Amino acid sequence: MFVYEKKLQYPVNIKTPNPKLAKIIITQYGGPDGELGASLRYLSQRFTMPMPELKGTLTDIGTEELNHLEMIGAIVYQLTKNLTEEQIKAAGFEDYFVDHTTGIYPQSAGGAPFTAAYIQSKGDAITDLHENMAAEQKARTTYDNILRFCDDYEVKDAIRFLREREVVHYQRFGENLRLLTDKLDEKNFYAFNPEFDKACFRKKQSK
Amino acid sequence: MTKRETLLKKISTYQFAALDTQLYLNTHPNDSAALEKAERYNAMAKPLIEQYEEQYGPLTKNNNEGNRWNWMKGPWPWESEDDC
Repeated sequence: MFVYEKKLQYPVNIKTPNPKLAKIIITQYGGPDGELGASLRYLSQRFTMPMPELKGTLTDIGTEELNHLEMIGAIVYQLTKNLTEEQIKAAGFEDYFVDHTTGIYPQSAGGAPFTAAYIQSKGDAITDLHENMAAEQKARTTYDNILRFCDDYEVKDAIRFLREREVVHYQRFGENLRLLTDKLDEKNFYAFNPEFDKACFRKKQSK
Repeated sequence: MTKRETLLKKISTYQFAALDTQLYLNTHPNDSAALEKAERYNAMAKPLIEQYEEQYGPLTKNNNEGNRWNWMKGPWPWESEDDC
């Protein structure tokens, strides 16, 4: 279960609205490498993970991604607060505004709505951990790209925090993959699906 | 930053240190030094959380104090004082 704490993981205090930047940053809310996809990916994959370390890591990172989703929502909210019609026009924000006003909607920077096609849950721990490591790097690149367009310190500060977490999560998933392969047949990791063919663990232990 | 935001940031700093250490512990469960650190960070956050909740209201629903329900009172985490 989940319990809500009435705080952000890292503070977001943006004073100057910038709807143009909000339209870019929304991609980390509901875009292809965004935080919504990340949390759903990990929280879904964890059910069939074969080892305690993997279940723990996926639960904790999946939960942390929900914190990040909330932070991105807060950033977009604050960047689009109290806008005038002139500001909306000047920033080219009309296309988002006409569909959602200043509501927070999960979409990519290009306007494509969130889809579960952004994530995978393959039921094979080796495959899923590789997906997750790639996902963390893709999110890191997206944050790097966002930082190219930020000049407000308050925005940069929060985005930098989120970027750093992608690097840490990548590291933890790499450790998970190593812990898993250590338990498999070192001559052929791919002889079994470690989630489905449970015998691959028993065999190793009886040696 | 307001006084409230400064206190909340302090809490978040300790909580984050604990969270990051706990994430590491999932893959290094026998690292007793890290385990001790995580416990220490949480212990450092605890009195600050109590102080915050006494002054500004509950961070988690079960910590409501007094005879009025204060949970829904703003500012919510995405807001600042001037939103309320």
